[in-house]
Amino acid sequence: MVKKELARLAVEVNKASFSYNNIKAIDELSLQVPSGISFGLLGPNGAGKTTLIRLLVGLLKPKSGSVRILGKTPSRKTAHLIGYMPQLHSLYTELSVIQNVDFFARVYQLTDKHKRAQRVEDAIRLVDMWQRHKDPVLKLSGGMKQRVSLACAIVHNPPLLFLDEPTVGLDPELRVTFWEHFATLTKQGITLVISSHTMDDAAHCDRLAFMRDGKVIAQGTPSELQQATGKPGATLEDAFLYFIHREDRSDS
Amino acid sequence: MIPSQVFTIATRIIHQLIRDRRTMALILIVPLVVMTLIGLSFPESSVLDYIAPALLATLALFFSFLLTGISFLRERSQGTMERLMASPVSRLDIVVGYLFGFFIFALTQTLIVLLFTIYVLDVHYYGDLWQIFVFQIVVITGAVNLGIFISTFARNEFQMVQFIPLIILPQIFLCGVIWPVEQMPNYLQWLSAILPLTYAVDGLRDIMLAGKSLLDVGFELAVLVGFAVIISIVAAITIRRGAAS
Repeated sequence: MVKKELARLAVEVNKASFSYNNIKAIDELSLQVPSGISFGLLGPNGAGKTTLIRLLVGLLKPKSGSVRILGKTPSRKTAHLIGYMPQLHSLYTELSVIQNVDFFARVYQLTDKHKRAQRVEDAIRLVDMWQRHKDPVLKLSGGMKQRVSLACAIVHNPPLLFLDEPTVGLDPELRVTFWEHFATLTKQGITLVISSHTMDDAAHCDRLAFMRDGKVIAQGTPSELQQATGKPGATLEDAFLYFIHREDRSDS
Repeated sequence: MIPSQVFTIATRIIHQLIRDRRTMALILIVPLVVMTLIGLSFPESSVLDYIAPALLATLALFFSFLLTGISFLRERSQGTMERLMASPVSRLDIVVGYLFGFFIFALTQTLIVLLFTIYVLDVHYYGDLWQIFVFQIVVITGAVNLGIFISTFARNEFQMVQFIPLIILPQIFLCGVIWPVEQMPNYLQWLSAILPLTYAVDGLRDIMLAGKSLLDVGFELAVLVGFAVIISIVAAITIRRGAAS
């Protein structure tokens, strides 16, 4: 029973802390993300969202506490289970769209040539970039690069996807398109952990964690968080401010 | 280390460089321009004969160091290194992949410069071509990994270029490229003894000018192999530091 419960948790963080040269980026943070949903990490710049994602993908190790993904400690052995879209485009600009996506497919050990070619095409089509698949990344707009970056993260069909500020710098229309892509992925059973600092993004997530100063100050579904303010018609922005003020009051 | 991962990284580097045609042209043309200028500066064939093998080693060191250093720096600044470090690829796969990727270009460059020096500049040459190549492979291995290692200390291309006067220029002056090490003060001779280019220059001169074999230059080769192994390990260790910073 306990094992089944653990398997249902895509992410489990237990009192994890991490510091950069004595500056606490993550402060005894605890978090649970159930499988198969889109989970938003919301907070201002410097809240610790990127550091938390780096801990979850295994780029950093917590100084204390524990981090588990799909029931395992993040390492190179679990790398094939996750997809990671960093904040930067993280693409080889001289190479074409298809060369970039194919490279990451190879890195994730999709060895069968035909299956790999199909996966690469599927991933590029999912982000609506097939019409430009032969173009070098250098010639693409910022939004298009974001889409290719997403294709690189999903090409090996991972059950868990970490997206660090995937919609930053996108125009409103493309932002909607991105959320449509994310909805398609969650329908396929993939768990999405998405960091953002805009409340527009928050409304699209199944569950949210509000972050501030390396801590989770509240978590729940968007409507639960809105209702917690006690004000009818409260927006997620109102909810975020409510929890910040509550945290400040409890600190003082 | 997984050979398929090494192959994947090596082929990606080759594709990247082939697509960047201007860089490709510069890789091949610049050394020829340098050799021509030096050839014109030393009309006496005996001087050119003496300098040519040293320049072959220096060019291999310089270009491999610079190209790898900047490529690796871009890998980090573009965020692709972060993506790679979160993937199943190991640090050793990356280092060896880079090595094989750059071998193709560095060895092609060596071949072109060598043929140009022999047939256009009319430099006298005695050793076997394959022995020169094997020797250069060892020089390039050290230089590629030196580039990877040093790039972890640079945050941008400007900083990387600043390492040239710090890492490459002293070796050109102290390693017997221009004047014999024996003519330098004692303390500088000690310094030259710990610099890899000294052994690369000595070894290549012995093969090309005296017609010696790889066995004859075994000591120089062993020092260069030792340097290549140590710097490869150090480069692999420092990759994560750069990726996560």
